[in-house]
Amino acid sequence: MRFIELLSTYGDMYVEAAFATWWMTAVSFIGAMILGLMVTVMRVCPIKPLRVVGDFYVQVFRNIPGISMLILVAYALPYLGLVLDWVPCVLVSAILICSAFASENFMSGINTVGVGQIEAARSLGLTFTQMMRLVIIPQALRSVVPPMTNLLIATMLTTAIASQVPVTPPELTGVVSYINTRMPYGVLAFIVPAATYLCTSLLIGYVGNKIDQRVRILR
Amino acid sequence: MSAPAVKPIRDSLYEQPGPKTRRRIVVATGIAAVLVLIGIALIIRQFYITGQLDPKYWLLFTRWTTWKFLLTGFMGTLKSAFVAGVLALAGGLILMWGRLSKITPVRWVARAITEFFRGVPSLLFVYFFFIVMPTVGIKMDSFWMITLPAAMSAAGACAEVFRAGVNAVPAGQVEAAKSLGMSKTKTMLLIQLPQAIRFVVPTLISQLVIVVKDTTLAYVVSYADLLQNGRVLIANYDALVSVYLVIAIIYIVLNYLINKASVAIANRSGVKLIDVSKVSS
Amino acid sequence: MTEQIPAVEFRHVDKHFGKLHVLRDINLSIMPGEVVVVIGPSGSGKSTLCRTVNRLETIDSGEIYIHGELLPEEGKALAAMRSKVGMVFQSFNLFAHKTVLDNVTMGPTQVLGVKKKEAEEQAMALLARVGVADQAKKVPAQLSGGQQQRVAIARSLAMRPEVMLFDEPTSALDPEMINEVLDVIVELAREGMTMMVVTHEMGFARRVADRVLFMADGVILEEATPDEFFSNPKTDRAREFLDSIAGH
Repeated sequence: MRFIELLSTYGDMYVEAAFATWWMTAVSFIGAMILGLMVTVMRVCPIKPLRVVGDFYVQVFRNIPGISMLILVAYALPYLGLVLDWVPCVLVSAILICSAFASENFMSGINTVGVGQIEAARSLGLTFTQMMRLVIIPQALRSVVPPMTNLLIATMLTTAIASQVPVTPPELTGVVSYINTRMPYGVLAFIVPAATYLCTSLLIGYVGNKIDQRVRILR
Repeated sequence: MSAPAVKPIRDSLYEQPGPKTRRRIVVATGIAAVLVLIGIALIIRQFYITGQLDPKYWLLFTRWTTWKFLLTGFMGTLKSAFVAGVLALAGGLILMWGRLSKITPVRWVARAITEFFRGVPSLLFVYFFFIVMPTVGIKMDSFWMITLPAAMSAAGACAEVFRAGVNAVPAGQVEAAKSLGMSKTKTMLLIQLPQAIRFVVPTLISQLVIVVKDTTLAYVVSYADLLQNGRVLIANYDALVSVYLVIAIIYIVLNYLINKASVAIANRSGVKLIDVSKVSS
Repeated sequence: MTEQIPAVEFRHVDKHFGKLHVLRDINLSIMPGEVVVVIGPSGSGKSTLCRTVNRLETIDSGEIYIHGELLPEEGKALAAMRSKVGMVFQSFNLFAHKTVLDNVTMGPTQVLGVKKKEAEEQAMALLARVGVADQAKKVPAQLSGGQQQRVAIARSLAMRPEVMLFDEPTSALDPEMINEVLDVIVELAREGMTMMVVTHEMGFARRVADRVLFMADGVILEEATPDEFFSNPKTDRAREFLDSIAGH
């Protein structure tokens, strides 16, 4: 009964929260892919300083805790003259962290190709660009589907840091404290967001698996 | 055949440059180096013009008391991470065992719990213990409010790692054990697990990074970890940027070292890291 | 005969891997239509020698000429030169994400600008010639090692190469598959293809070679016709080597 009461009072809020989580996840993931790709290009290019910066970038952002990152962006950057709104703070933090993991995934995707095929491409007389376009990138992209599926789920979980700054509407994690500070619904208030997270990750995992089955390269 | 030690793939993408390419690379390297230096200079300049380079923000790090306080917090982080790690190992083992069980409902429950732990942010678990549990009259110590969520998330990941490890044990080994008349439990305990552990140790160590990251959620429940103690310092010295920066660097270095260790052990024992990637929140 | 330009020519070629001197003052000419088989113990530099011809390995000093032209060091000129030199690897190195047919047509369509349809017809003919036409729609991982290597040969042939390099083409194969690959290479030799073959298969070397090179420690120790070399090796190293493999 209390569950129905909860839903009738806060149902809209849960829906809004779910959408907030979803769109922040989507934007962060897309941003992370783009940035991760750029970092990867830096890391594989033959220009040493760019490589060093790329490697350094990845080590910093894959190892920094999400909360620590958010705090720096939200509370330290303003002291350095850069003030962002709360939502952009969350997005920037998530994108920085997840792009480091995206780059690691891209790198391991490139690694699956192997030196042999690179030499074979060269021996056929393919130029560097042709080799990248026809041999390396297609294989790297196809082998990167499972880790990127995991990363998409991880990105969603990372957006939970938004609960630490005043974001309106609150996303799925923030909504728990929002509701519970007003009405003590106890476990009930927790169940809806948890189920939403869970279903979303299961769905992402399922779709990722299907895509992987279609594009997987036999080896 | 007589090639030297295998180059990393990113070097193999390029062939030995000819003279023209070499010149181009030298020029590009020069330009890139200058740009990187300019970038660093701009960042430092930004610190300078906003007054963040003022000694008052940094001198506190020359004091022993500051470090002692941070160290106390760091120990809090390690304590929580350690306990969470142990719990996650145990929980992961139980979940893995459940997933390989003969009894269908047990398999389902284990599967559901694993997915639940893996698919829900640790922060939400923190809120569960921090906000939800007190409403039903259960009040916990802040240590557990942070350690249990970290352990739950990691247990889900550990279960997957263990499962991958057990699956990596050659089928022949299990058959051999069966032909010796070993029971299923005995086979698992004496044959599969010991070998699986060798496969999974490096990956488990790398999972420790996630646990360490999760302990920063102590921020929410005011458990005295590194980050939380940093906040106290900030309040005392009014030095937010420098303290948060130093703390972030400590976390990064710690996690970097954990990763390094796991890769080193993986290389030494010749096993691959298992990908159950999950970034922390 | 003396007027003829060699298909491949090494002049005073030296190469080091760090401290290791892998090629020492190599001087060698391979004439058009000639089949040169390179043998020697592992670590002798024979694979490296083969790989320098299309600059998969660079050299420290000396020159390599292909049909009288200095091997370019980079860029389009190098790519163009490589397209005329076929290479077959020990580990096949087929493109894992492409079908067998696409593996064979990639070079002609992308490098030579052949129309897709034409390239496919030509590819099917080549695949039939090496006996794997029925596998055209499969991906490499679905083929046996012997089949993969034959596809790799077809892929090289599709470029209509002037010279073919074989770098231990059967070393990664199960014994029962070695002959199906060697037969294809022998057939090519009969048709007059210029070839440089690095191999451990002595019977095959005898059958196919116009000239046998014996390498050890980065030096070409002997150069002889197969009959001469196998019946009467001149150096101790060659004798030891032949004894050691005769034992197998």
